Amino acid sequence: MKKVLPAIVLAVLLFAGFRAIGPLPPIGPLLDPANGVWGLAASTNFPARQFRSIPGLSDSVSVVFDDRGVPHIFAKNELDAWRALGFVVARDRLFQMETQTRAASGRLSEWVSSPQILAADRESRAIGLAWGAEKKAAAYDKTSPAWQAMQAYADGVNAWISGMKPRDLPLEYRLLNAKPIKWEPIHSFYFLARMSLTLGLNDNTVRRLHAQALVGKAAAEALFPVNSPIQEPIQPNGQNAPRFDFTELPPPGNPDPAAIVALTARRQVLTALAPAPKDEPSDAVGSNNWAVSPRRSSTGNALLAGDPHLDLTLPSIWYEMHISVPGRIDAAGVGFPGMPGVVIGFNRDVAWTFTNTGSDVDDFYAEKVDNDDHPSRYQVDGKWRDLEKKVEQYRNRGGRVIHTDTLYFTHRGPMRKLLGEWMSMRWTAYEPSHEPDNFLALAGTHSVNDWLYAMRDYVAPTQNGLVADRAGNIAIRSSGAYPVRPGDGRGDVVRDGSTSANDWQGFLPLDQYPAALNPAQGYLASANQQPVDPRQNPAYMGSSWYSPWRAMRINALLRADSQVTPDDMRSFQTDPGSARADAFIPLFLAAASRLDSSGKADTKLRDAARLLGEWNRRYTMDNRRAVLFEAAMRELSRRTWDELSDSAGVHLSDAGSMFPEPQLILDLTTSPTSIWWDNRRTPVREDRDAILAASLAAGYDTVVARNGNADDKRWLWSERRKASIRHLLRIPALAAPRVPIQGGPGLLNPSQGEGTQGSSWRMVVELGPTIRAWAVYPGGQSGSPASGRYLDRLSRWANGQLDEVLFPKSASDLDRKRIISTLTLAPGQ
Amino acid sequence: MRSLVKVLLLAELFAVATYAFGWWTVPVIAALWAIVSSDDKPARRAALCAALGWGTLLVLDTIKGPVGEMATRLGGVMRVPSVVLILLTLIFPALLAWSAAALVGAFKRGAAATPETAA
Repeated sequence: MKKVLPAIVLAVLLFAGFRAIGPLPPIGPLLDPANGVWGLAASTNFPARQFRSIPGLSDSVSVVFDDRGVPHIFAKNELDAWRALGFVVARDRLFQMETQTRAASGRLSEWVSSPQILAADRESRAIGLAWGAEKKAAAYDKTSPAWQAMQAYADGVNAWISGMKPRDLPLEYRLLNAKPIKWEPIHSFYFLARMSLTLGLNDNTVRRLHAQALVGKAAAEALFPVNSPIQEPIQPNGQNAPRFDFTELPPPGNPDPAAIVALTARRQVLTALAPAPKDEPSDAVGSNNWAVSPRRSSTGNALLAGDPHLDLTLPSIWYEMHISVPGRIDAAGVGFPGMPGVVIGFNRDVAWTFTNTGSDVDDFYAEKVDNDDHPSRYQVDGKWRDLEKKVEQYRNRGGRVIHTDTLYFTHRGPMRKLLGEWMSMRWTAYEPSHEPDNFLALAGTHSVNDWLYAMRDYVAPTQNGLVADRAGNIAIRSSGAYPVRPGDGRGDVVRDGSTSANDWQGFLPLDQYPAALNPAQGYLASANQQPVDPRQNPAYMGSSWYSPWRAMRINALLRADSQVTPDDMRSFQTDPGSARADAFIPLFLAAASRLDSSGKADTKLRDAARLLGEWNRRYTMDNRRAVLFEAAMRELSRRTWDELSDSAGVHLSDAGSMFPEPQLILDLTTSPTSIWWDNRRTPVREDRDAILAASLAAGYDTVVARNGNADDKRWLWSERRKASIRHLLRIPALAAPRVPIQGGPGLLNPSQGEGTQGSSWRMVVELGPTIRAWAVYPGGQSGSPASGRYLDRLSRWANGQLDEVLFPKSASDLDRKRIISTLTLAPGQ
Repeated sequence: MRSLVKVLLLAELFAVATYAFGWWTVPVIAALWAIVSSDDKPARRAALCAALGWGTLLVLDTIKGPVGEMATRLGGVMRVPSVVLILLTLIFPALLAWSAAALVGAFKRGAAATPETAA
């Protein structure tokens, strides 16, 4: 007995110490105070001085970390700078880097075994993310600056990995019982492919087809138009106000059963490609940027503001840095952990930023194959062409093959069988390109024209690149490859793949890209709206443009202010004003008033109208009326578009798609007796006022039922509108949930239902004799959840504040009080 | 006094070996201790010293970095109070050392007793 008990205890502890049990990682290396999580916590604070060696460095590099955790990298040549960057980014964000590339290359199953993860891996590979990235990497000019930089960056990452002490292993690797992989340039391509999926796959067809199935083609085309009915384009059109291109909507037509078949296939493709469209209007998300020329700024210098909105994650998608190489680069800003370069930022002469264009750059083709079950060829112009085949194996954590897929590719792209039909997809993200060189070159530009030249052959995802320089120039261009299609040029239809006549005929020439340089209005702004007025350039570029409310608001603010200060630029980023509320509130109030005058209003409607009328239409955190307006708007959409429900009563929105954009309702309000206002389920025929009033009253009912009376705290906007910043592994304990923010649908700080998307980086730059910049992102520089630099920027981000960005010319130029650590990297073996 | 020095030295040994080679050295050192020790109850002392050794390392970690924050985060991930993880960090080496030392000690006593029994 004296041997049995200790033997059992020892055996159990050794087993639990060495082996994972269920979701629990091996507890030996986890709890080891020298090399486990406690050692990791001890190593999150950088030592004041540190020396390390990196193989391949040609000279020593000084890296000074300021009190915001930003590395200022002073190197004597560019490749050494990228090696150093790879090293420091890996130190802060290693797990994130690997996660992103595994997600794109479909290798998450090697970490986590579950049917959902395997399904995600299979989809990533099936849509060709890895295939496209590998094709690009293989064809890439290995002597190009970007390839050299990616190789140097990889060297830096690997130097960190190989020099890591056991205690440095990030927490997430410990939880997954995994080890980091060796970094290679292909991983940077995987990351870019993932970004293309996030930003560059836009399709409005599902919504339109669903509507077509219910109300016919003519009505569907009108409800989901190619051109925005409110024109406030990125490329200034010479107007001093938004233009309302309202037309009478054709009445609902007969259902189109054929569209249902097409819809189902289309939805399967899109579901495979990306998460299903959220049941939110597009004015719940979106990015902004704007620039002001010297004559409209208070300082007489050009000003630029950048505010890209993306999924909010911990750690942040961005990593802030400053890279200095004498005579070559001196740039600060943010880049992606996983690839070298300042993607959004500034140097001594130029500042730049991006918003997503959202153009339609993907097409689907119905293919004819030789064997429906196991195709080896596909037909084009009556001749058979060989399919490219790729056998994909998926492995589990132990390396065992758990699934095998055979993927097929035509000359257009990946081909899949959907509802009995083989369909291939062509997408600009698969096209030959060199985005890494484009992004890398930006930091070395010295003028707006230099910058535009560096982006001249950029391909995907299409981006509204905004740039300003110290000479006072401002410019914007929606850069990227825009396919030229045959026929009507539309890209939102499934084409017959058996004829090459349906293939893309090329790409729009650069001079037809939406663009502007030093416009007469003295400012430029983009907010994902339709980039060019179709009256100026009718070329088809897409059809799922974001709603114009943010563009209207920022243009209104910039038009009204001819003495813009840097702090104005900051405050605009979380401006609580709403062009959407300005447009709809008078309509609600007028409808309620007319019904009241005619004796048709009840107490509830009068109360709702009174409360709404009290609102100043500003979504400040302490306001108590935005909640009522939003409820009324939801009711308005549901009641107006009742025709978009099928015989089973499933509404378009409930079916996972989205309503027509609110601007279509605004359009409809110009036709007060349109048949669209009628609720088909009531015996009477409703008009505009009846629906507006009923929506307001129903919204009021909903809010009271959920939040109590109007003086209840739950009516506060801060109780309702919150950001939720999720951890990459969706672990709640490592996330920052329910952070109150000043934002909302259609605002310059747009925020959707659960708040999982939002401003990923806010930046304001003044391009004076000395560059001044301010910035923030949600989270912090460190990816280690225990680090003080994991969430240190969150409260300032939530409050709309920015930090001053330090931009020293040399290491000695940096205020010593603001230095937390100095890392000297020396050449080594 | 001598006993205290022994405890401190053994605790130090557990700490240094863990730092240098890893957590698995705890049962190894405890076993060796049980072999060489003339102590009546080597397992108890090994357990105490292992906990002390790891506790010392934990204190050093706390001085250097945000151990409390890590405990909170990790506790959240594992859905246990953070203090449980800290206690576990002391109990785990203690049990490892106790079991290894007790097992070896039992064999040692058995080996020592066998000739006497035979005689």
